[in-house]
Amino acid sequence: MSQYALRAAGLTKRYGRLTALDDLTLDVPAGEVFGFLGPNGAGKSTTIRLLLGLARPTAGQAWIFGTEAADVVRAHRMLAYVPADVALWPQLTGAEILHLQAQTGPGTDLAYRDELVERFALDPSKPARTYSTGNRQKVALIAAFATRAPLLVLDEPTSGLDPLMEREFRAAVGQARDHGQTVFLSSHQLAEVEAVCDRVGILRTGRLVEVATIDRLRGLHRSEVTVVYRGAAPGLSAVPGVETVEATGESRLRFTLTGSPAPALRALAAADVTALTVREPSLEEIFLDFYGTGAVR
Amino acid sequence: MSIAAVSPTVTARQATSTPGRAVTRLAVRQVRRGGLIVVALTGGITALVAGTYAEVMADPAAAGGLQALAGNPAIRMLFGPPVGLDTAGGFTVWRVGTFLAVMLAAWSVLATTRITRGEEDSGRWDLLLAGRVPLRTVLIRHLAAVAAVPVAAGSAVTAVLLAFGTATSGSLVHGAGTALLGVFFVAVAALTAQIFPTRTPATGAAVTVIGVGLLARMVGDGVTELGWLHWLSPFGLLGLSGPYVQDRVVPLVLLLVAAAVTAVGALAAAGRREVRAGLVASRPARRPRLALLGSVEGFAVRRVLRPLAGWTIGIGGYYLLIGLTAVSVTGFLADNPALANEAAKAGFADMGSIAGVTATLFAILAMPAGGFVAVRMGAFVAAETDRRLMMSAAGPISRVRLIGAEIAATAGAVAVLVTAAGSATWAGVAVTGGDFSLVEALTGVWNVLPIVGLSLGAAVFVTGWAPRWVGVVGGLPTTGGFLLLVIAESIAAPGWVRDLSPFAHLAPVPLVDADGTASTVMLGIAAVLVVAGLAGYQRRDLRS
Repeated sequence: MSQYALRAAGLTKRYGRLTALDDLTLDVPAGEVFGFLGPNGAGKSTTIRLLLGLARPTAGQAWIFGTEAADVVRAHRMLAYVPADVALWPQLTGAEILHLQAQTGPGTDLAYRDELVERFALDPSKPARTYSTGNRQKVALIAAFATRAPLLVLDEPTSGLDPLMEREFRAAVGQARDHGQTVFLSSHQLAEVEAVCDRVGILRTGRLVEVATIDRLRGLHRSEVTVVYRGAAPGLSAVPGVETVEATGESRLRFTLTGSPAPALRALAAADVTALTVREPSLEEIFLDFYGTGAVR
Repeated sequence: MSIAAVSPTVTARQATSTPGRAVTRLAVRQVRRGGLIVVALTGGITALVAGTYAEVMADPAAAGGLQALAGNPAIRMLFGPPVGLDTAGGFTVWRVGTFLAVMLAAWSVLATTRITRGEEDSGRWDLLLAGRVPLRTVLIRHLAAVAAVPVAAGSAVTAVLLAFGTATSGSLVHGAGTALLGVFFVAVAALTAQIFPTRTPATGAAVTVIGVGLLARMVGDGVTELGWLHWLSPFGLLGLSGPYVQDRVVPLVLLLVAAAVTAVGALAAAGRREVRAGLVASRPARRPRLALLGSVEGFAVRRVLRPLAGWTIGIGGYYLLIGLTAVSVTGFLADNPALANEAAKAGFADMGSIAGVTATLFAILAMPAGGFVAVRMGAFVAAETDRRLMMSAAGPISRVRLIGAEIAATAGAVAVLVTAAGSATWAGVAVTGGDFSLVEALTGVWNVLPIVGLSLGAAVFVTGWAPRWVGVVGGLPTTGGFLLLVIAESIAAPGWVRDLSPFAHLAPVPLVDADGTASTVMLGIAAVLVVAGLAGYQRRDLRS
C-alpha cells in the first residue's frame, strides 16, 4: 500500500471556459487528518468529485493509496465518503439505508455502527423523507465512520449538526486518527478544522494557494504583538515584518508581525520593555487574510 | 409579514414587484415544453385523421363495413360509441377522440402532481412558501399554468376541425369537451396531491380515477342497461356530448361543474394541511424491511417492484378486457364474412379470428411497455441528478454495474409486464369460452419485446450521452415509431419513411409466426445502443 492515502498530480477540471480546478498537486500521507479550506465555489467539491471518480479530470491524475481514482472498484474499497448535501432514498428508513451501505460498501464494523447510532442520537426507524438536514448528515456520517475505511473523505460534514453532535463528530475523527485512518476534511468550520486537522490546504478560485501545518500557517501569518514599555517608545518604523503600529494607551503599543520576529525583537531590545504578549492568529484570521481583501498574493 | 413598518423605501419597491406573477412564471417554465408537445400532438393527430376521412369514405364498401363494425358492442367498448361516422368530424372524434382524451388526462395528472406535490416533496417549495405568496395562491397559479395546456389543446382541436370544414357546433363541442376533460384531471390530481404527502401515491390515485372513468365508460358503452354509468365518468360525459350528432352542452356543463367542485375541494384541502404534509399522514416510524437491500442489483429490483405492480394492474386490466371481448368481436365478424372483408378494407385487418384481433392489439402493447422502460431509466437519471445515487457511486461499485443493475431490473420487469398482459388476454378469452391457447398469447406479447428492447437501448444510450433527454428519447422507438407508421400510412409517405418505424417490421403474432430476422435485427440494434450507452455512462461526469 502506498504511503500516501491520496495523491493528486496536475489535477485540472474545466467546464467549458470555466476552470473549476487548476493544476492541483497534493499529497496526503496515510494517517493524516487533512483540512481542505476555501470559500464557496473555490473548487473543493469539484476536487472531491475528481478524487472519487464521480467526475473525470480534464487533465492530471489522482490516486487513492496508489490506485488510480478512476478505478472505483478498487479505490473505493479503501474509502468512505460523506457528501456535502446528503440525499437519501426517501422511502427507506435510516436503518435500511445503513444496511444497504453496509452491504454494498467497503465493509462495516456493525458493533461500531450501533455505537455511532447511539452517540449521534439517530432514530433509524424513520423514513428518510422525514429526516432534517442534520439527521441526513448523521446517517451518512455513521455509515462512513462505521466502515473503518483507511480513508474518510468528508465534504462539509457538520454544516447541519448541532454543537453536541459536532462534538461527537470531532470525537469520531479523533478515534479514526487513533485507528490510523486518514481523514480528508473539507470544511467551512474553521474552529473544527483547527481542532482536528494536522495540516490544511487552502484553495482559492480553483488554485491551491497554501498547504501547511496549522502551526506553520500561524507562523507565516500576522501575529498580534502588544508591548508595554517605560520611557521612550521603541522605534518600530521601517522594521521588516512590522505593520500597523498603534498606541493603545500610555506606554502601550500594538503592532502586527509577519514572518521572522528577529528584526522586531532587536528593535524592542533597544527600549525598556516591561511586558510583551504575542497572540497567534486564529485560523479564521488567517482565512480572512487570504480572502477578505483579495490583496494577498 | 410586511417589512413596510421598518422601511418606507422597501414599501415603495414592493408596490411595483409582482410575486404572484413570478410564481406563475415559475409554474409555466415547468410545464411549457411538455405542454407544447401535448398541444402539437393533439392538434396534429386530429388533423391527420380528419385529413384521411375523404380517402376512407371514397370507397363505399369500406365505409359501410366500418359503419357495421362500429355497431358491434365489443368494438363500441374498445373504441367508444361511433356517432356520426358520416362526417369527417364525427369520424375523427370516434377514431382518436378517446385516445387523445386519455393522453391529455394522463399528461394533466402527471404534470400537476409533478409541479405541485413533487416540488413540495423535494423541499423546493419551502423557500417559495417562505415568501409573500401563500400556499393557496401558489397552488392556484400552478393549477392555472397546467390547465392552460388542455385548454390550448382543446382550442387546437376546434381550430383544426374548423379548418377542415367540419360543422362549427360539433368542433366547438368536441374541443370544449377535450379541454374540460383535461382541466377536470388537473383538478383531480390537485386534490390527490393535497390528500397524499408524497408524489407517487398522489399520482397513483389520480391515474386510478382515469382508469375507473375509462372502465365506467367502456362498460356503459358495451352494456346497454348500464348506460347510465356514462353520467358518472368524465369520458362518458365526453361521449354523451355527442359532437357532430347531438352536440349536447349539458354533459359539458356537468364536467365543468365537476372540475370546479374538485378544484375548490383541492384548495380547501390545501388550507387545512401543513406544508410537506398531506391530509393523510405518512407513517412516522416502522421496522426495517431489509429484503433486497443486500446488493445494488437487489436494490434495483426492490425499487422496480412497486411501479411494476401499478403498471401491471393498469395494462393487465386493459388486456383482460380485450380478452373478454375478443370472442364477441370475432363471432360477430365470423357470422358476417362480407362485413369482415369490408372491415379489412377499412383498416381492421383479420378481425375474424381471435389470433387476428389479439395480434393487432398486442402490437400496441409495445407503447406502454416502452413507456415503462423510459420512465424507469428516467427515474434512474433522476436519482443521479438529485444525488440519491451518490452514496452508491462512492462505494466500490463500477459505473457499469450500477447502471447494469438498473438495466437488468428494468428488462426483467418489462418482461413480466408483457407476460402479465398476455396471460390476462388469455384468461379473458378462456373465461368467455374462446379458442385461444396460453402459448399463442405469450408468443404474441413476447413478439413485441424486441421493439421494447429498442426503447431500452435508446434510453440507456441517452443516459450515457445526454441524460436530460432520457424520457423523450426512451419513448421514441415505441410511441414515436407507432406514430410514424400511422402518419406515414395516412399521408402515403415513401416506403422508406414507413420502414423507419420498427412497427413496420413487426409480424402480427400469433396470427403468423414471428419474423426472426426482424426481431434479431432489432435486438442487435438494441444491444449496440446499450453498449454505446454504457461506454458513455462510464466516461461522463455524474450529474449532481
